Amino acid sequence: MSDLKTEVKTMIIERLKLEGMTPEQIDDSAPLFGEGLGLDSIDALELVLGIEQHFGVKIEDEAAGLQAFKNVESLTAFIAEHRAA
Amino acid sequence: MDGDDIKTQLPHRYPFLLVDRVLEREPGVRVVAEKLLTINEPYFQGHFADRPLLPGVLMLEMLAQAGGFLESEPLAGKPIFLAQVLDARFKEAAFPGDKLRLEVSPDASFGGLMRIKGTVSCEGRVLCTAQLLLKSITNPKGAA
Repeated sequence: MSDLKTEVKTMIIERLKLEGMTPEQIDDSAPLFGEGLGLDSIDALELVLGIEQHFGVKIEDEAAGLQAFKNVESLTAFIAEHRAA
Repeated sequence: MDGDDIKTQLPHRYPFLLVDRVLEREPGVRVVAEKLLTINEPYFQGHFADRPLLPGVLMLEMLAQAGGFLESEPLAGKPIFLAQVLDARFKEAAFPGDKLRLEVSPDASFGGLMRIKGTVSCEGRVLCTAQLLLKSITNPKGAA
């Protein structure tokens, strides 16, 4: 598991207070919303803020953001791509 | 902004229109509004009969309604919904005769949700602070 993926998972767990969950329990390709982790639109706003504060990546384009929120895999790729070097 | 202008912006009506006047309004940035409490408010009949004071949750509703003026387009026919209340603190009570100042500004927005920060004060004393998440409002200037 890449370090960034673990960091992303840790951020999700802390930000959304998914108590008792560990990064290993989150499947890279499982959907974050609906089935899978079962997050909702309120969690999405919380994640947008978490990503901005933790990784310095602003999600301004909502369509791109929703695409990135598909799963941990896509979110990590999005952060890696937009993160300041 | 007062009276009919407020009714044009908000779909709320008696006895649940809780904004009397809008003092400052910069859509997407900041709104300052006022609510004057009179002894005739219907909820004072039972809250409480011997000592009327404003229910704290109504301060949250006042902030949410003030938040409706952050939207540049009228909300009539497009009601706003409260999706989440965060860190609400009730520091002091409000009583008949108080002129409440409602200040709100957006904090973040995504996917049709807008988070606002609000403060209710009276003559310089802070009565209530809270963050509210409002649904189906888009922040015209993007997240602050």
